[in-house]
Amino acid sequence: MKFKFTIRRNRYYLAGVFLSIILFCSSFAFAQVKGKVSDPSGEGLVGVSVAIKGTSKGTQCDANGNYSIDASIGSVITYSFVGYETKDVTYNGQKEINVTLALDDKLLNEVVVVGYGSQLKKNVTGSVQTIGAKDIKDLPVSQIGQKLQGQLAGVQINQTTGRPGQGMNIRIRGQLSVSAGSDPLYVVDGFPITGNIGALNPDEIEDITVLKDASSTSLYGSRAANGVVLITTKKGKSGTNVSFNAFTGIQEVPMKGRISMLNSEEFAQFKKEYYEDAKQPVPAEFQNPADYRDKNNDWYDALLRKAPLQSYTLSVTNNTEKSRTAIVAGVFDQQGVVLNNKYQRFSIRMNSEYDISSKVKLGFNVAPQYVYDNTPRTDGDRGTGILFNALHTWPVMPIRDANGDLTLFNRFPASTGNIFAYANWVRSANELINETTNTNLISNAYIAYEPIKGLVLKSTFNVELFRSKFFFFNPSTATSAINTPIPTTAVSIRENVENFSWLNENLATYTKSWNNHNFEILGGLSNQKFYQESSRIQADTYADDRLPTVQGAINVNRGGTNSGVQEWSLTSLLSRLTYNYKGKYLFTAAIRTDGSSRFGADNRWGTFPSVSAGWVISDETFLKDVPAISFAKLRASYGVIGNNNIGNYTSYALVNNTVNAVFGNTVSPGAVITSLSNNNLGWETTKQFDIGMDLGFKNDRITFVYDYYLKNTSNLLYSVQIAQESGFGNFNDNIGEIKFWGHEFAINTKNTTGKFKWSTNANISFNRNKVMALAEGIDRVYGTFHITQVGKPFGQFYGHISQGMYQNAEDLKNNPQVPGRSTVGSIKLTDQNGDGIITNGGDFDDRVIMGNPFPTFTYGIVNNFSYGNWDANIVGSGSQGNQLLVRHIYSTANLDGVFNMVSGVKDRFRSEANPGKGMYGTTVGGGNVTGIERDWINSRFIADASFFTIKNVTLGYTIPKANKVFKSARLYASIQQLAVFTKYWGGPNPETSAQGNGQGDGGNLSQGVDLSNYPVPRTYTIGVNFNF
Amino acid sequence: MKKIIITFCFVAIAISSCKEDFLSVVPETNLSSVTFFKKEADFQQAINAAYVPLRAISNDRAWLLGEMHSDNTYYYRNILFGATEQQEDIADFSIPTANGVTSNTHVTNQYRLDYQIIARTNQILSLIDEIQFPEASKNNIKGQALFLRAYAYFELVRYFGKVPLHLKPVTLRQEATLPLSSTDEIYATIIKDVTAAISLLPLKSKQEAGRATSGAARTLLANVFMVQKKWSDAETILREIVSSNEYALMPDYNDAFSSNSGNKNNKESVFEVQFLEGAAGLNGSFMYNFLPRPMSPAELLPLAGTSNPQPLTGEGNNAPTPNLIASYETGDKRKEASIGFVTISGSLRKDKSFPYIKKFVKTHSLHGNHGINWPIYRYSEVLLFLAEALTEQNKIGDATLFLNQVRARAGLDATTATSQAALREVVYRDRRSELAFENKRWFDLVRTGKAVEVITAYGKQVIADPVGHYYPEGAVPRSNAFTNISLLYGLPADEGALSPHF
Repeated sequence: MKFKFTIRRNRYYLAGVFLSIILFCSSFAFAQVKGKVSDPSGEGLVGVSVAIKGTSKGTQCDANGNYSIDASIGSVITYSFVGYETKDVTYNGQKEINVTLALDDKLLNEVVVVGYGSQLKKNVTGSVQTIGAKDIKDLPVSQIGQKLQGQLAGVQINQTTGRPGQGMNIRIRGQLSVSAGSDPLYVVDGFPITGNIGALNPDEIEDITVLKDASSTSLYGSRAANGVVLITTKKGKSGTNVSFNAFTGIQEVPMKGRISMLNSEEFAQFKKEYYEDAKQPVPAEFQNPADYRDKNNDWYDALLRKAPLQSYTLSVTNNTEKSRTAIVAGVFDQQGVVLNNKYQRFSIRMNSEYDISSKVKLGFNVAPQYVYDNTPRTDGDRGTGILFNALHTWPVMPIRDANGDLTLFNRFPASTGNIFAYANWVRSANELINETTNTNLISNAYIAYEPIKGLVLKSTFNVELFRSKFFFFNPSTATSAINTPIPTTAVSIRENVENFSWLNENLATYTKSWNNHNFEILGGLSNQKFYQESSRIQADTYADDRLPTVQGAINVNRGGTNSGVQEWSLTSLLSRLTYNYKGKYLFTAAIRTDGSSRFGADNRWGTFPSVSAGWVISDETFLKDVPAISFAKLRASYGVIGNNNIGNYTSYALVNNTVNAVFGNTVSPGAVITSLSNNNLGWETTKQFDIGMDLGFKNDRITFVYDYYLKNTSNLLYSVQIAQESGFGNFNDNIGEIKFWGHEFAINTKNTTGKFKWSTNANISFNRNKVMALAEGIDRVYGTFHITQVGKPFGQFYGHISQGMYQNAEDLKNNPQVPGRSTVGSIKLTDQNGDGIITNGGDFDDRVIMGNPFPTFTYGIVNNFSYGNWDANIVGSGSQGNQLLVRHIYSTANLDGVFNMVSGVKDRFRSEANPGKGMYGTTVGGGNVTGIERDWINSRFIADASFFTIKNVTLGYTIPKANKVFKSARLYASIQQLAVFTKYWGGPNPETSAQGNGQGDGGNLSQGVDLSNYPVPRTYTIGVNFNF
Repeated sequence: MKKIIITFCFVAIAISSCKEDFLSVVPETNLSSVTFFKKEADFQQAINAAYVPLRAISNDRAWLLGEMHSDNTYYYRNILFGATEQQEDIADFSIPTANGVTSNTHVTNQYRLDYQIIARTNQILSLIDEIQFPEASKNNIKGQALFLRAYAYFELVRYFGKVPLHLKPVTLRQEATLPLSSTDEIYATIIKDVTAAISLLPLKSKQEAGRATSGAARTLLANVFMVQKKWSDAETILREIVSSNEYALMPDYNDAFSSNSGNKNNKESVFEVQFLEGAAGLNGSFMYNFLPRPMSPAELLPLAGTSNPQPLTGEGNNAPTPNLIASYETGDKRKEASIGFVTISGSLRKDKSFPYIKKFVKTHSLHGNHGINWPIYRYSEVLLFLAEALTEQNKIGDATLFLNQVRARAGLDATTATSQAALREVVYRDRRSELAFENKRWFDLVRTGKAVEVITAYGKQVIADPVGHYYPEGAVPRSNAFTNISLLYGLPADEGALSPHF
């Protein structure tokens, strides 16, 4: 007894701050009970929650299912565990209480969060998928999006860049738009947030529900068309639990998949051959390529390093009779694998709920967060991306000089064909400052009042504050651009953005059941406002790089200095009726009306209705007798939803009053109308039909979900190109229609039970689309290297079809040519229109659709294993049939030799006898000849980017005996991004897609362009989970 | 029940906020059409902005379409450099044109820039009479708008022939395109606009320097009459300019042109495009486009005079041709003032000496950024137009009087020509020497009916002697060079794709 007492006391000391002394003292009055909790097979259950009903006291079973708890005579002990039926036992002074928990054969008694409420999973009539925190707990990544890869059917999640905290591209059911945003709506604890979820600490999340079909999303009205992701954060659970999770690891960029570039000797050899083939004298620098042997400078590798990451989260949940609290505090620190790249996040969340009376409840959530990010301009095209620039730098240029110091910049004489000055990118990485600090606060408050049984009135008030501070400094000794000699003009940029958004919602829910008829009626009003202020100051020409202040600059750049305001407001009415008869025949109807400031003055309000129905066939007598089938439900839904991501002021004709004129030497202000107004501008409309079924076999040991959807998005926001004889380039309008359809399958199986447990979750999704119409008189719009054409899938790669090179004079003569440019050894393109010449653009264009950036299907597979105290899990995600346009070879295979080149150019066409492999042509003739294969985008740029990636493998061990320090403890080791299986040759990341930079911008119309972004590292980590 | 009532009151408050006010969010950092064009200052700003496309036209396009597209200049072929075919096609008379359209970007951009001026001036002209403000200011703005619109259409009609004639601002997508108007219709509009502008605009001495004046409008109108061969109409208008006493030749030909910041809008200047050196984006950079390459910083330094000369790579443009250099009369001071020579050590050509356009090379401070103005009309051209108009009417005596003013300033003797035919040739030659590199040559060849003949002969010279035309030894002109000598440019294909009319 004394011994046990000590244990208790120590434990309380450890969790001390969170527990009252009174509680501590009261433990004297209790006697101790111990016992074992088992499953029906007699096996001990790990982690079962054991609590004294009506108190905050609770514990968990250890690795063998054993527990001990203090109880007073007459108190009720509750045993609960996910997947099992909860059991209550009254304590009558027994020394030992052993309990067997029955399998909860209706897993579907699970409650899932849906929009504006929750529902029994069994009764859901829409297409909804939930991921719990436990399913994704071990992945050592910074972003929730990374954790969801491979887990969700119908949701494509690509990691387009390895930049810490960046670049997760999430698309639900292949949603696309010509120019409106396609990101899903993120709703955190009922609050549609205006930022993204990239910086949310994953440990704060209890579960994530993805709403896919129109019936489940239509209560989000004009913001629902891209799908909705509901995030519920941690709530207080039974008793007091303190847990500490930590991991630390190391990241590296594998050699496999890197772009193979010429080394210094090969490069010199290329240059030598270049001049020889052109019958020009070889410059002295390249007459003897062997001089460069063993003097290779791998500029790309020089920018990379092995880098550590670490994460710590401390959580406390506390549940008393009248209040529930959860506090999660986290620190995440990741050094990037690119030099001088750093990402840090500090976050805390406090969620609490109070029962003021039996009828009134209050809730408050507050979640402040601070994120620091310094990334030395890694991603982007020539000019902005140092990784891209490094690939291009001549490997004969030294990274370090004879003294071992980093060179300033490199340039060969113009006679060697060196057009550009190459900065030392290692210096750039180390010296450029490119930091963003974001401070974010999401808070929710609500009051719920139940005046009569079944009627709940709830008012919520939510506030989101966001402040972003960006600082960029390019000292005179560094640059991120090719062709900027050092010293360069020092430039500083300061940007401040402040967002403020509030949401007030007033909801009434009435639930009533009689004679097996079950109703729920919801009505509500919602008002949301968003206000953003931003400012930017750009200054240059510094006297001293050590003082990058604004006043330290000689010049303030007017063009780069500005301030702005963005604002929108949304007012809505919403309502839903849910009805079922005996939980067997299910019906839901919902409607939302949105008024939005974004819509044109003559088109302010939109209405978005939906209906759905379900039939639980397994509750019918004829299926009750089929023991193999434990659950079967058919469901169907149809609804209309919108996308209001059309910009805040798109309907207005704006005046630009900085179009200034000069008279004499005097500047005179000038102003022009830069756009045309459209008072009818509105949301994009999506009409979506969904039919699906949920099946459970063998007591739900196997569950299966299938969905088919068909949706039509019309009134696409599009800045319709108009003839510039009008003085304008575009007219913002709602035009056109895209049809989407697809199949989604998900299966969960418990392959083995007993001591060795193995379960598998797998999913596969097929998404298709077809452009049905564009604007009147317009049947196609072009992206950067793309075409979106009526009757064809969206955003297809568009270019010439390459047939290799003209092999000899006869081949040249007998085939269509580019007039004045084609020669023997230059690229032979296909004359698609049969006019005898090859034309790029215009009325006689020979370009055709040559590839598709969208996959045939995407899939994911998760395997969980456990054996005794050991557990393991493997997460894989894949994509099949998608292609990428390897944009970087327009410069990394520039045969004029102005940049370093991919090693494939060794196999270029050199002569009839030495024709190469048909990928790269002759260098003779310079840009007039080589420019065709480089600048006229053609099928050589297209690469199969199908892949299967083992995203994560984790092995964990739970320490069998709880001791005086902790209730339970688990150690694990994990490898993130273990292996990428792909035939993709264009770079290390087949998931990439250029985002928002010059060449091949990742705009909606131009997806799937590889500009060699920040590589996704492989990460090795070890971690611990402690429960105190 | 009381609580329910309270709750419903709360709900009622929420409903009352669903007013249109809440949803009416106007842009705070941009003016919009709702608030603009309401007062004099708005129109003043609008007319200023209507001048702005002239900067891009003269800095980037006009010399390609009007000068390098003639026997006056060529490009400095750099075989190490690609992506230059758009310019080369223009200089080589090999612009791919089919069905009357071309995808050449320079042609497209010139077209679009002219229509920018037209849209901006249409906006002003359609709204200005609805707003009350002092008549003098209103007339001045209207006069400038009419002048600029007429100038833009005059460019378009000479480059393209038939084009859409927009005279009202476009407000809807459906109004964006119009059918092509006949050249007669376009010229009639130009004459009407310029005639109105002449009466609305003040004299140069009464106008802010750099803006359109009645003298500039008269010169434009005279230029239109010259193209239409309405010699006596041209004479009348040109004599009005001479007798206005607003203009005179600068004593030294070198001083007819602005420097980086001085000598702008001088006594000889009738209309010029205004630039200002600096980071505000009001500068030009054409001087750099006109230099041979690869040019080292040391070679650039004496020409640009900046503290941070950078190497120039790529391919230089607007290289004076041997044909032009040989066309100057002996002793013509304009030759040395217009053309200089520079040594390019990094050139692949054996002869490292290259001619360049000297009259637009002025020292300045910032690399790639200068404030040199671009001349559109100079008084010497007024005199040459007058001499030509008089010659065509066989008024030989008067013609030589005006011609000799220009010749004397160039250090040349009075002309000895006495026949109409001989004098005509002297005027043409003096126009070429006086106005070299001012984007007059192509239009002159077309309007005098000599374009095909002259360019065909010139093309043969280039093909016969590539090295003489700045190709490195061994490099030859492209196989399609000088295969498409036509008097008009094709309309832009990108515009055609968006218009049902061409």
